[in-house]
Amino acid sequence: MKRLAGRRGLVALIALAAAAPSLFAQGPDPLAKLDTAGRALVRSLVDSARAEGLPSEPVLSKAQEGVAKHAPNPAIARAVRTVFLSLRQARNTLGPKASRDELTAAAAALQAGIPASALADLRASGHGKSITVPLVVLADLVTRGVPRDMASHTILQLWMGGAGDADLLGLPKAVEQDIVSGAAPGDALVNRARTIPIRLPPAKVPE
Amino acid sequence: MFALNRPSVLIAVAAALCLPQGAASAQVVSRLEAGAVTSSTPGFVPSSALSLTPDLRYEGQNVKLSARGSAWLDGNSWDFADARLSGSVTTPVRHHLSAQLMANASRAYYDRINQNQQVAAEARVHLVFSQAGGMWLETGVARPWRVAVVSAVDVAGAGAWTQVGPATLTGTYTNFAFTRIASASDSTSSLQTCVATTDNSRCLRQSHFSDVQGSVHFEKGPVELDAQSGYRFGDATDVTPDSRRWAAANAVVWLTSDVAMVVGAGRQPSNPARGLPARNYANLGMMFAAWPAMTAGAVPIEARASAISKFAVAAAGPSLERVQVHIAGVQSVEVMGDFTDWQPVEMVQRGRDLWEALLPIADGVHQINVRVDGGKWLPPPGTPTMRDGFNGEVGMLVVHE
Repeated sequence: MKRLAGRRGLVALIALAAAAPSLFAQGPDPLAKLDTAGRALVRSLVDSARAEGLPSEPVLSKAQEGVAKHAPNPAIARAVRTVFLSLRQARNTLGPKASRDELTAAAAALQAGIPASALADLRASGHGKSITVPLVVLADLVTRGVPRDMASHTILQLWMGGAGDADLLGLPKAVEQDIVSGAAPGDALVNRARTIPIRLPPAKVPE
Repeated sequence: MFALNRPSVLIAVAAALCLPQGAASAQVVSRLEAGAVTSSTPGFVPSSALSLTPDLRYEGQNVKLSARGSAWLDGNSWDFADARLSGSVTTPVRHHLSAQLMANASRAYYDRINQNQQVAAEARVHLVFSQAGGMWLETGVARPWRVAVVSAVDVAGAGAWTQVGPATLTGTYTNFAFTRIASASDSTSSLQTCVATTDNSRCLRQSHFSDVQGSVHFEKGPVELDAQSGYRFGDATDVTPDSRRWAAANAVVWLTSDVAMVVGAGRQPSNPARGLPARNYANLGMMFAAWPAMTAGAVPIEARASAISKFAVAAAGPSLERVQVHIAGVQSVEVMGDFTDWQPVEMVQRGRDLWEALLPIADGVHQINVRVDGGKWLPPPGTPTMRDGFNGEVGMLVVHE
């Protein structure tokens, strides 16, 4: 009996010694500051995202962001749920071939209040080009107070007119400058959009 | 004993109305410049002195106050030299327009013979095109004393400025008009026109001249450069030949966030309204600046991050990005984002206002926040922004190969 107990103890000790490095190697759980329900929610949403083929990093990242910003647990839960649902809606709108960046940017645009139809219009007119940047800029413009319909329409027109990523990424700062100077957000966008040249590809030479 | 009466009450109310409604971005900066100055004035022996110049500034959202004075050690005695007290109140920009009221009392000191005091007030209307350019119209009045000028000096002018990269270019036109006591005849004994004569038959003459000046202010890293050049229009009775043209340059090199080397030289035109001749000058010295950290509760700290003047991200290797923030007068800058698992990363200060961090950021769309002196997390300026779901905002960073 004593020998059996001693052997079991030895096995346990060896198992513990083997596990110790990996135990110590694990960093602190980034979700440790969440309550039990919050951690469970985040983990279940991360699992669901993986199961549905959605990027799971944005879900986990939103929870980490909430912890870092000392947000209350209910707010973190709400934000994480919103990110997951936005990613799902983005996938449904843009299709299964949408890239991770497009899904992340589309989710941001949806969270900003851009309707899914605007995302679909961008995708349809993208000619296969990534619509990540127009989506990022759309989310920004609406955050600054540009009416959603005006923002969606203007960005779509610019995109269809061949505006490049650099042109679009310059819009938020330019619009902000005009807003600071006293312009209404919608007027600021319209004025700045006029300065972006149309770059349509040359028409094919007719045979 | 202070007695309450209507004028004093009105002054107190006006002063209260002039106080900034939001002191969110207010800061007090103090500096001390110590060095050597030399100047030469035509007809006088060049003078050199050691100088000590304290400078105190308050910069609020709408109100700016400053006080600056110089003491020169010339031989064995200290002289009270240049000094200036000034204040300005600026309205917020509405529909591209803003109004500004300025007042100052100043003492100009060249040497024990050439010195003058003056008070002045000025009003400006600014037309702001954007954060990178604007223009203004101004009108004002100055009253020097203990000089031959017997009337107030009327000042009128206009200016324009634009920002080109790290440089700010400014052009001004200023017209000065005043009445002064003059000789009844000029140096060739020709009779001069007098608009009036005094009791002892001295001639009063209208004088006016106009200055056109261009200036450049350049800041990059630890170096600040200022240069001006100008030309004076006016007839020969009002503008001496040695005051038609002038130029000056000044450089500040920040050795640490609080200590800088200052060097400058140039030519100042005469100021007939203040009875001051033209002079050449040069100065070399050290400047010590104090940027006191604001304590929580005194000023909303989230305003400090909004004072970031520039934010940039540049490739620094495979999946490695150099994140740079330009902000002066702070103790710490931190960055965090999805690429740091939202763990704050302290940025390293390089130079007076440059903070930097090397971070592994893969290609794609990322979310990022910065904060200053432990304040609120804010999106970096110039980045697309979205609400973070926690009553704040987050910047969106698009990183391409």
